[in-house]
Amino acid sequence: MFLTRSEYDRGVNTFSPEGRLFQVEYAIEAIKLGSIAIGVKTSEGVVLGVEKRITSPLLVGSSIEKILEIDNHIGCAMSGLTADSRTIIEHARVEAQNHTFVYEEHIPVESLSQSICDLALRFGEGAHGEESIMSRPFGVSLLVAGYDHKGPQLYYTDPSGSLVLYEAKAIGAGSEGAQTELQQSYYKTMSLEEAEVLVLKVLKQVMEEKLTNSNIQLAKVTPSKGYQIHTADELAAIIARLDEQE
Amino acid sequence: MSTEIQNAAKSHAGRWEPYVDNGGTSLAIAGPDFCIIASDTRQSEGYSINTRYDSKVHQITDKVLFATSGYSADGKKLAENIKIQAEKYLDKNDKIIQAPSIAQMTSIIMYQKRFFPYYVFPILAGLDGEGKGCVFSYDPVGNMERVGFQVYGSASALIQPFLDNQVGLKHQENVDKNRTLSKQEAFDLAIDSFTSATERDIYTGDYLEIYTVDSTGIHKEVRTLKFD
Repeated sequence: MFLTRSEYDRGVNTFSPEGRLFQVEYAIEAIKLGSIAIGVKTSEGVVLGVEKRITSPLLVGSSIEKILEIDNHIGCAMSGLTADSRTIIEHARVEAQNHTFVYEEHIPVESLSQSICDLALRFGEGAHGEESIMSRPFGVSLLVAGYDHKGPQLYYTDPSGSLVLYEAKAIGAGSEGAQTELQQSYYKTMSLEEAEVLVLKVLKQVMEEKLTNSNIQLAKVTPSKGYQIHTADELAAIIARLDEQE
Repeated sequence: MSTEIQNAAKSHAGRWEPYVDNGGTSLAIAGPDFCIIASDTRQSEGYSINTRYDSKVHQITDKVLFATSGYSADGKKLAENIKIQAEKYLDKNDKIIQAPSIAQMTSIIMYQKRFFPYYVFPILAGLDGEGKGCVFSYDPVGNMERVGFQVYGSASALIQPFLDNQVGLKHQENVDKNRTLSKQEAFDLAIDSFTSATERDIYTGDYLEIYTVDSTGIHKEVRTLKFD
């Protein structure tokens, strides 16, 4: 890709003669530099897990947040330039609250995910009155986990604005290997507990550091309790469950 | 003093009035698994009848109806607006909008015109997400309340107390307060309410449109009322 660099690299809204938008493609590359994030869907709910890279012993681990709540029933995990996600998350939260205000119900997961994607291509100059919010594409990918009338769902969004429904998905550094592992180990009848262990198992395989309760984050979205992020103690218990199995 | 009032009246006279009261009455009764919605079709202006057949009940979805009274033109515009929003909801969310959502949305649509309101007293009725009968009533600025039954319009003062007694079981002694009306009872009550109201209220009459909403869908019946 880098050998074909040309003038078309620069304009964020100019197609190359081969029909490519380089800046968008590079943004997708940026995701692969981010730490891994994994989502697994089961019939009981969805599990999200991320690696937190603690680059210094002086760094306060709890200050890194890569799984966030969007609404009671929707959470999201991210990989890439996580700072870019702030704009997206802000937009998603407003969209969710607005839906609840107008319709007195939770926003469907698909609608929420779609509203995130609507932002993705609003870079460059704003078109037909829409104000542009970014000068470049977002360098972040999101895994949106939620629950609604269609049951538990896991959506994957990327900087190109495409929206795909997954049963299990890994994004970020080492996601290819993780995705292969998910394909081998995932099965539809999996319980939520099994999914939690699977997420940890895959994280463990991909992570360079030893997996502990301070360098990962794990969250679940269930029909009964909605979005819940695990505390360090709860993480330790799930890690113990993983160790038992191995 | 009297000249002041006369002058005020004179300066007011001839000025364009944005609102007209076209009379007419709408009613809705919710049952455990059904809903009855009825409206007469007379549309008046003062002592004149503009038309003997003007529907005031609008279908929003296959489970929800919207009955209006007050200013006919505003009622139609409001119903049209709600229908458009319900369709947009379907496009965006890939699901049919449910009654409580339409109810909340309607409240917001109406409040958005807080300082030049739709001169309409709407009743939103049908089946909710659980298949139970539901009635939502509003004032013209969008205050909303979920109720068991409601009458709005020119004959509301005649019919509402009757329903309070017959449906709400108010002022009745030795009555089982948990008693609910059957579909047929509610239907007959709606017809009786209108035939009686027509006798006293000059703005209610001509025809009666009665809708029954239940799990099998929406069923419409038209009866005649007095033409005088």
